[in-house]
Amino acid sequence: MPELRTLQAITRALADAMEADPSVILLGEDIGQAGGPFGATRGLQERFGPERVRDTPIAEAALAGAAVGAALTGLRPVAEIMFMDFITLAMDALVNQAAKARFMFGGQRGVPMVLRTPHGGGLSAGPQHSQCLEAWLCHVPGLKVVCPATPADAYGLLRSAIADPDPVIVVEHKGLYAMKGELADPPEWTPIGRARLARPGRDATILCYGAALHWSLAAAEELAREGVEAEVLDLRSLQPWDEAAVLESLSRTHRLVIAHEAVEAFGVGAEIAARMADIGFDELDAPILRVGAPFTPVPFAHPLEAAWRPDAARIAAAVRRTLA
Amino acid sequence: MAGEILMPKLGLTMTEGLLAEWKVAPGMRVRAGDVLFVVETEKIATEIEAPGEGEILDLLAPAGATVPVGAPVARWTGEAAAAPREAPAAPEQPAPAAPAPPRILATPLARRLARERGLDLAGLRGSGPRGRIKAADLPQAVAPAAPAPPAAALPLDRIRATAARRLSQAKREIPHFYVGAGADLTRLLALREEWNALPGAPRLTLTHALLAACGRALAQAPELNRVWAEEAWLPLPGAHVGLAVDTPQGLFAPVLRDAGALPLEELAARADALVARARAGALTHEDMAPASLTLSNVGMHGARFLVPIVNPGQSMILGVGAVEAVFRPDAQGAPVLRREATLVLAADHRVLDGAAAARFLGRVAAILEQPLALLRAPAAGG
Repeated sequence: MPELRTLQAITRALADAMEADPSVILLGEDIGQAGGPFGATRGLQERFGPERVRDTPIAEAALAGAAVGAALTGLRPVAEIMFMDFITLAMDALVNQAAKARFMFGGQRGVPMVLRTPHGGGLSAGPQHSQCLEAWLCHVPGLKVVCPATPADAYGLLRSAIADPDPVIVVEHKGLYAMKGELADPPEWTPIGRARLARPGRDATILCYGAALHWSLAAAEELAREGVEAEVLDLRSLQPWDEAAVLESLSRTHRLVIAHEAVEAFGVGAEIAARMADIGFDELDAPILRVGAPFTPVPFAHPLEAAWRPDAARIAAAVRRTLA
Repeated sequence: MAGEILMPKLGLTMTEGLLAEWKVAPGMRVRAGDVLFVVETEKIATEIEAPGEGEILDLLAPAGATVPVGAPVARWTGEAAAAPREAPAAPEQPAPAAPAPPRILATPLARRLARERGLDLAGLRGSGPRGRIKAADLPQAVAPAAPAPPAAALPLDRIRATAARRLSQAKREIPHFYVGAGADLTRLLALREEWNALPGAPRLTLTHALLAACGRALAQAPELNRVWAEEAWLPLPGAHVGLAVDTPQGLFAPVLRDAGALPLEELAARADALVARARAGALTHEDMAPASLTLSNVGMHGARFLVPIVNPGQSMILGVGAVEAVFRPDAQGAPVLRREATLVLAADHRVLDGAAAARFLGRVAAILEQPLALLRAPAAGG
């Protein structure tokens, strides 16, 4: 299988979707001539023209609102918000318009839009350019949220998101854009709502998504040297999430650690932990533990940011605690 | 400034305590009276309170560890070398209902598996944090159809593990010797039948009479009311008598205070309450007063005699067998029907010798054979 970077997989997914469906258009700041702030749309305006690859003003509320309107009137817009931190400005369009339209208009119209946006730290980009805010969106009925951790899923989830009849937020990680991985030829779609077993194990389950997948795999490697076989489950889709796969894994390992880069308090892990404490109660042989960032804004200084972000050591320590 | 919190001495003969559970963690601030940890000695769990204010720095002994008296169990910012207080015992308060049995810590999986396998978690020891029972702590399931596998070792709970260790130590270290005698209980049993037939009279058992006889014999020979402690004799105040009680949780030997000074009716009521507390797992530290003698009556199970092991920290134990009907020659050599029980007194030879033990046993038998005297209140001061 050919290897490529996550960013190239995203560009490929956008191009393939535009090729396959003329109603797919792209909206975003600097995505046209400049090829996107991280280069995800490089070459697409030249290939598909400025009508389908549109540069917007630096106004997230406006571009998200335009995407909702375009979706309601028959297009499949893929909007890009440069940093997830700026999604605050687009919340009305997403929460009150995109998420609600199908329900408020008797199902006559859906909002088949996609909003791509990168989250996550590690680049010393400071408190306003590093946040992981996906839990906000997961809390809104009517929105779907996915978060790929590999080039294959970056391609596969984006294709599924664009084809989905409802609004899907695709949360990418800017620290993973340059990461290389395999992509099948032709590339496969990743269904929304399905987790992936990234590493089988029998002693404990590490459930993760995004950058935390790679820390979790490193933690599992470290634990394997101690004789602990940790299973790593990549959630991939946060809303809806693969409850059956998590329960199935927990029912084999009886221990669950949930890892994400987002702040631990009130995060995605809290929801999953609460649900598993209910439907998985009789399978638990240890408390469910979460590994997330502490409850404070992302520090700017690199050493502080490094201390703030979860890592393999913290995940391994949590697994050891569940085995105590 | 860092001080140490020490394992307290909760009884005259206590040399070590099992640190059953921590109630605090490093970094916690405590005030005087806050419960720091739970100590299990012999058969009793006692909550230990902070003697003052401070912050817990670190724990030096894990839950489950056996720690010698006076050894540090934690470091804190409070008073240096503090021997914490035992939580005030509650028996003086108007008695509430028996406290709930201690909560069993077990994971949901362990609970489900135990339910499915018909296992009682109460008898298991947990290897998890705070002694939590995990799935791995359960004995393996036995497939009903399979040929009997080699018996899996059943882990002991704390109470039984402590008892096993302490009894092994007692049998190993105490130089036991034994004196036996038959006691003629014919008149006592007749009196008891008459008493129990009285309308409204509290039920009197042979165990009540035996407790009274032991207590009064001890009160008459206060020089024998002593135990071995650190290469010396330690005299004990009060004619208290321990009573071996068989319970589902294991063998307990709570102590009936002043057994030698109580009127028989009062003694019977207190002994019944003591046995009820032991069976309910509700014994308090008050029920474990220092005593030199314990009574173990197995007569109701039909055994002819019992040669018991002296309880750790005591010097004598009286084993009582079943009542038997026997013919004895009277003064003219004619057979007389009697009802007798065999008494075996086991004693610590470091504390008393054979003659003293035989005299003591004879005194117990004599009291049992003069049952009317038992109905009189004991003379004040023994």
